[in-house]
Amino acid sequence: MSTMDCNAFWNQLEQWMEGERSSDARAHLRGCPNCRSALTDLDAIRQSASSMGDADVAPPDRIWISLRAQLEEEGLIHADRHGWADTVKGWFEEIFAVVPRPALAGAYLVALIAVGLALAAPSYRRSDGAQIPTRPLTAQLNTDEEHAISFVTDSDPAVAASLRKNLAIVDNYIALCEKSVQEEPENEIARDYLYGAYLQKADLLAQMTERGETR
Amino acid sequence: MSSQPSLRTQHYWRASAILVPGLLLMCASPARADRIEKHFKVGAHPVVTIHNPTGLVTVRAWTKSEVMVVAKRATDRVDVDAEQIENRVDIDTRQIPDNASPGDLRADLEISVPEDAELQIHNDSGGVNVSNVLGDMNVETIAADVALEDAAGYLTVKTVDGAFVCTRCSGRIEASSISGNFRFIDLRSSHVRAQTSEGNILFNGEFLPNGTYELKNYNGIIEVRFSPTDSFDLSATSLKGKVNNEAKLGPSSHHHHFLPRFGNALFGSLNTGRAKVDLSSFDGTINILKRD
Repeated sequence: MSTMDCNAFWNQLEQWMEGERSSDARAHLRGCPNCRSALTDLDAIRQSASSMGDADVAPPDRIWISLRAQLEEEGLIHADRHGWADTVKGWFEEIFAVVPRPALAGAYLVALIAVGLALAAPSYRRSDGAQIPTRPLTAQLNTDEEHAISFVTDSDPAVAASLRKNLAIVDNYIALCEKSVQEEPENEIARDYLYGAYLQKADLLAQMTERGETR
Repeated sequence: MSSQPSLRTQHYWRASAILVPGLLLMCASPARADRIEKHFKVGAHPVVTIHNPTGLVTVRAWTKSEVMVVAKRATDRVDVDAEQIENRVDIDTRQIPDNASPGDLRADLEISVPEDAELQIHNDSGGVNVSNVLGDMNVETIAADVALEDAAGYLTVKTVDGAFVCTRCSGRIEASSISGNFRFIDLRSSHVRAQTSEGNILFNGEFLPNGTYELKNYNGIIEVRFSPTDSFDLSATSLKGKVNNEAKLGPSSHHHHFLPRFGNALFGSLNTGRAKVDLSSFDGTINILKRD
């Protein structure tokens, strides 16, 4: 019988993902289907994103749906939110080091989904309703996005304008889809569209970054 | 004796007024346009890769076992490399000095290839036109429009906001864009998968038995034209928009659909439902209309 509860398990997630698996954590996982399922999804994100360097891999559609629902319902990342956020950040920082566009898109995708999750999950909100900033992920993503946009400023003006215009279009759809998902969390169609919009943005940012690197 | 100049003198003055500034302009410009032509002998199923960031790319099939590249450069600040490696021909447009303006980097390419050639084309702005090529094709653009005619291979087209028109294509088609419009005209393809965020999608073609047709957007209009003799199983869903249908659909023949709790959805079969048609939009309108 494990003495570890869900919060304690998620507090040591980073060690778990790096292979340091205590007997208490293993015992908790055996007895907790929610943690087991959420962990499977996080692992799938990491593996899908990593393998994008080899082929156009579509991460499982259900990732967004199940992750968000589970984290919302269970509040699994209560106590040490930055530990979890830092772990995910670490994953995509590793992938950002890989140059090919599919891998880069994978890294952006992981970052976008992670930020989307972090911003949407109620466990990131304080009891007074104010939102707790998800600094590591959001800051990292913003920096990378600015970096990608800066690459296109030297391009053909028509091309640069097109890329900026379409980034704004995708951002708008992400906002609309996030709103739909927040209003109707069980709406799977809206979640699929949100996931698709994340994919498009990830691919667009990767294209912008690639352009800068090849100039 | 008339003091007015003769007609011939007037003609010379007029011609000079036109020609002299033009000649001066051509001489003064250090970077004037020119034409490059190259020929490569190839075997069966050659691969042709084309990288031309700015300018028009026109590819036509011909009966010769040869690839011919005709490049028209806007200036000498852009160079067009074309080289052959075994059965592959690489055509690459690149700028010579770093400080060239975008207009200086334009090169229009006219390429003739055997009809079984495989094409890989990258073009940011300008346009891509391909006709009568039956090999596989991968086209990527940013703002450039793409037009394929009488193509038959595995066709993948990806644009950011370039439009895509596919006329009389019969291959397997996969197209994606953010704000480009798609038009599929007189198609005879058994697999079409097209997604654009803010663009419209028009499908006016045959629904082949066992074919799959998946059209998706976020906003805009998805329009599918059918004839009463077509046979397909239809699923059409718009989460926030409308679904308008002129087809007399019966109960779905092969698939058991459950009406979603959200959005506007329509399911059913036309005739025996031999093809599968899946239309979906986030807040756009879906029109299923009779062909004229």
